[in-house]
Amino acid sequence: MVRPYEVVYIFDSALEEPAINERLARFNSLIQQPGAEPPQVNHWGKRTLAYPIRKHETGYYVVAKFETDGSLLPEFERAIKLDEGVLRFLVVVHEGAQPVPVSTGRPEEEDEE
Amino acid sequence: MRRGQKTCAICESGVRIVDYKDERTLQRFLTERGKMLPSRLSGTCARHQRQLSTAIKRARQLALLPYIKGQAG
Repeated sequence: MVRPYEVVYIFDSALEEPAINERLARFNSLIQQPGAEPPQVNHWGKRTLAYPIRKHETGYYVVAKFETDGSLLPEFERAIKLDEGVLRFLVVVHEGAQPVPVSTGRPEEEDEE
Repeated sequence: MRRGQKTCAICESGVRIVDYKDERTLQRFLTERGKMLPSRLSGTCARHQRQLSTAIKRARQLALLPYIKGQAG
């Protein structure tokens, strides 16, 4: 089933920008479906981690949104896990853009006096 | 004497879905040690408290928020 997903990667901040882009391109190709739009990639850049991960104090954050079939995800996640340059990642179903339900009937007026 | 009903800060700000990437907002619902505030204290409604719970846990996985704050060593 095709659903909108969102993935956050935390790369090792020692990696250079081209190395990160090369990895992103490789990961993106795994979830790219024919005819689908390419993922929207948003670089947050270097940030201090709230706690050290594998002795790293900083990480390079990248957020990507894409639509893909869920059956492609296990292979995608496996490829990321194998990459030593990724400190951590999280793939979630993107819920931010869901249609807002239209309110029916009269407006709520339950405010206390 | 009954205290006035607290209102949900998230409902008031007009946010429908709590974003786990917005750690500044999430921070407001944590104690100084980094634990989640109970809705009894923060006044959040049940729906948003549930969303907050997932959002905070995700943010912790991504090292946006600490699991424990102010721990020595």
